[in-house]
Amino acid sequence: MDKIKRLASENKVAVVSAIIILLFILAALFAPVLTPYSPKEMDMAHRLSPPSPAHLLGTDEGGRDILTRMLYGSRVSLLAGVLPTLMSMVLGTALGLLSGFAGGKTDDLIMRIADIMLAFPSTLLAMLIMYTLGGGLINVFLTLSLVGWAGIARVVRSEAMRLKSSAYVSAARLIGVPGYRIILRHILPNCIPTLIVLFTLGVPSSILTESSLSFLGLGIQPPDTSWGQMINLGRQYLYNAPWLSFAPCAAIMLIVLAFNFLGDGLRDVLDPHLQDKN
Amino acid sequence: MRQNILHRLWESAVVLIGVALLIFIMLRVVPGNPIETMMGEHANQATIDRMTAELGLDQPVHIQFIRYITGALRGDFGTSYSLGKPVSLLMGAAFVNTLKLAVFASLFAWIVGIICGIISAVRKNGPADHIFMGFSLLGVSMPVFMVAMILQFFFGYYLHWLPISGADSWKNFILPAIALGWNSAAGISRLMRSTLLDVLQEDYIETARAKGLTKNAVIVFHALRNTMLPVITMMAIQFSGMLSGAVITETVFSINGIGRLAVQAISGRDIPLLQGTVLFSTAVVILGNLAADCLYAVLDPRIRKEA
Amino acid sequence: MENRTELTLKIDHLNVSIKTENGLIKPVNDISLEIPRGKVVGIVGESGCGKSMTARAVMGLLPPATKIEGGSILLDGNELTGHSEEQLCGVRGSEVSMIFQEPMTSLNPVMKVGRQVDEVIRVHQKVPLAEARKMTIEMFRAVGISEPEERYECYPHQLSGGLRQRVMIAMAMIMKPSLLIADEPTTALDVTVEAQILRLMKELNKSGTSILLISHNLGVIAQVCDYVYVMYAGQFVEEADVFALFDQPLHPYTKGLLGAVTSLRREEAVLETIHGVVPDFSELPDGCGFAARCEKCMERCSALMPRMAETEPGHRVRCHLYSA
Repeated sequence: MDKIKRLASENKVAVVSAIIILLFILAALFAPVLTPYSPKEMDMAHRLSPPSPAHLLGTDEGGRDILTRMLYGSRVSLLAGVLPTLMSMVLGTALGLLSGFAGGKTDDLIMRIADIMLAFPSTLLAMLIMYTLGGGLINVFLTLSLVGWAGIARVVRSEAMRLKSSAYVSAARLIGVPGYRIILRHILPNCIPTLIVLFTLGVPSSILTESSLSFLGLGIQPPDTSWGQMINLGRQYLYNAPWLSFAPCAAIMLIVLAFNFLGDGLRDVLDPHLQDKN
Repeated sequence: MRQNILHRLWESAVVLIGVALLIFIMLRVVPGNPIETMMGEHANQATIDRMTAELGLDQPVHIQFIRYITGALRGDFGTSYSLGKPVSLLMGAAFVNTLKLAVFASLFAWIVGIICGIISAVRKNGPADHIFMGFSLLGVSMPVFMVAMILQFFFGYYLHWLPISGADSWKNFILPAIALGWNSAAGISRLMRSTLLDVLQEDYIETARAKGLTKNAVIVFHALRNTMLPVITMMAIQFSGMLSGAVITETVFSINGIGRLAVQAISGRDIPLLQGTVLFSTAVVILGNLAADCLYAVLDPRIRKEA
Repeated sequence: MENRTELTLKIDHLNVSIKTENGLIKPVNDISLEIPRGKVVGIVGESGCGKSMTARAVMGLLPPATKIEGGSILLDGNELTGHSEEQLCGVRGSEVSMIFQEPMTSLNPVMKVGRQVDEVIRVHQKVPLAEARKMTIEMFRAVGISEPEERYECYPHQLSGGLRQRVMIAMAMIMKPSLLIADEPTTALDVTVEAQILRLMKELNKSGTSILLISHNLGVIAQVCDYVYVMYAGQFVEEADVFALFDQPLHPYTKGLLGAVTSLRREEAVLETIHGVVPDFSELPDGCGFAARCEKCMERCSALMPRMAETEPGHRVRCHLYSA
């Protein structure tokens, strides 16, 4: 907690990033209150109109207010960042710790499966899973979780192996501390800085993968909205109505940047190794 | 060393078979008969049955899999449902474009990433460091399609400097290479910077300084080689990533590569084509990683000597 | 310039300061030291007392945010403070060289050890590679590395700690420097290897190189040093000929250090300890830095910094007990 306080007092960029993330979350929660328009109702009289006082970010090909659609879309995009990352973190950490600590056959099996998952180019893997599961919100989340765990497992495993051979773990083993306790008390806490870094990298990358899938038309399907999907729909009008794509693009960039900055800041205060350098 | 490589080869083969199996299973659990899906609602049952038999889809799944694998080993990935041509032929033509794109983008990423990373680390917290790290943060924060669209809009549509789509000449590849490579360049420069900063804290760096080497000589002769170890791994992983990230770049810039072929396969519900493209791309990635491991072993004597 | 022939190193009122969040601290506070040619001089003290910082100041390898705040360092009569980085590079490795505590991490893991020694030669002289290789192998033999040709081709991880330290010594000695700084050279090694390495250093010393040995271990100091400086909280508190120091320690801190060494000759082996810890550099008292831990502390000790006073020729101590 003290470290968080120090972060707040020293790293203004991280604070601003946290505020931006918070604002995005609030905007997503209170979308209906913040806008008079509906994200779904068409208004063909005002289609493709450029930004104006009535429509701050303009309207799309169906005359829908872009800002409104972005507010509603942020719900999906933010969830797509956080939920699958959490799921793949839990899965990846558990398997990585098990693999690194148990060694032998267990390690081989888990790592071979992870190897198989990691061998796929991630967009193709996501496309393949989406093809199998079909489009839609839940399937996008599932896909993102399935794509992400293997990388985390591998990192956690190598961290666990490194710690396993460290002097204090050997000492703990020598005095007879049981394995599960070594994992929970000695190895896992030492992985936490790494896990935080992985999480902060995971959320934005998950947001990006969702937007890529939706951009290809394979992810979020209408009537649900996400930023990636909006960009995909707007791409046909790139040259005569660029605001259709660029506003959600800016939103993606902003939130991803914010997460990256916050992650960097957190790493600086939480990771003692990096701390020494500064 | 040789044993090590043999071991990695064996591992790669196992992974590749696992990949093939996974793809095969995933595409078989898709609900509905693919032939029905392909031929639409108006096809009569006799035609569907005939097609199903012709394609071997009436056989038990394990027979189908073995047939598929043995076929793939001979370079026969079946015939595309939607395009009516052999999948291997379609992929061969597409891969040329994908490879060109990946090479152009990698060159861009490696040169820019390594140089910026070194400068940033050596002049830590200097103006160049801040500018490069700013750009690299933008790079890792922007989705590929976004960079691609901005480049298209600005250099293609607004300035008319470069073509915005197609794969006819090398000029066509400039914008896609930047779009695809920027993200990688960002990753490389960040990793390069942080690894180099770490390495510069090592004891042997002080030893080298104590020998009387200048700061620059220490960086070139002692720090860089140790820094490059993780960076090379990342470069290999990214190169593989480009063969997949190319899905989006190829789509935006209308380059007929493997990635675009995969997207076409999905929209055409063309299982042989999808199976072929995903398997092929993954195999390329596996081979790329294998090559990276060998390279890593050559560079790091600690690994080289371990059996 | 009469010093030129007599003194390899002369440090005069050297101050080193570090900028920290809590203000400026002085890990090296007004120290003066002399190393006569061909002698082994030791600095002994607890970890964090500033002894490594002193060594780094001589090498011109101070960490960032650290700088020399005055005083002079004369190596063979040449002033090193104020030297440009380029000039220092010419000095390092050829006229003064250094070996470090951790032979495990002090060698570049991706370079053959032979090449790492070659490099020193080729930095300072224009010598063809084959020639350098010959010199390196010769040096390996001189520092007691058996099968030097094979070892030349080895990577650091293939060698034992003792061998690696020998490689480090070969690297440091290859240019026949006038001064070798050894910063805890045997701390990471086991005792038998330690004895071999110390013997080797003594031999090298006989061939003309002066040595500055830094250690927290009085046993090591006693084995090789001619003259000893005791360092505490950035200052020298006592300096004496090695025999005088061990026979007749004056400063309560030195006595404490000696008490903490178990002696097998003593009947009752009671290990004495010095109470308390080294004070934080950012909150040093006005008076004697050791006052808070000293059993003989007097009123003025915590108010007034004692001066270095000579009690006998060559034996000096910084303590109010001995000042007139």
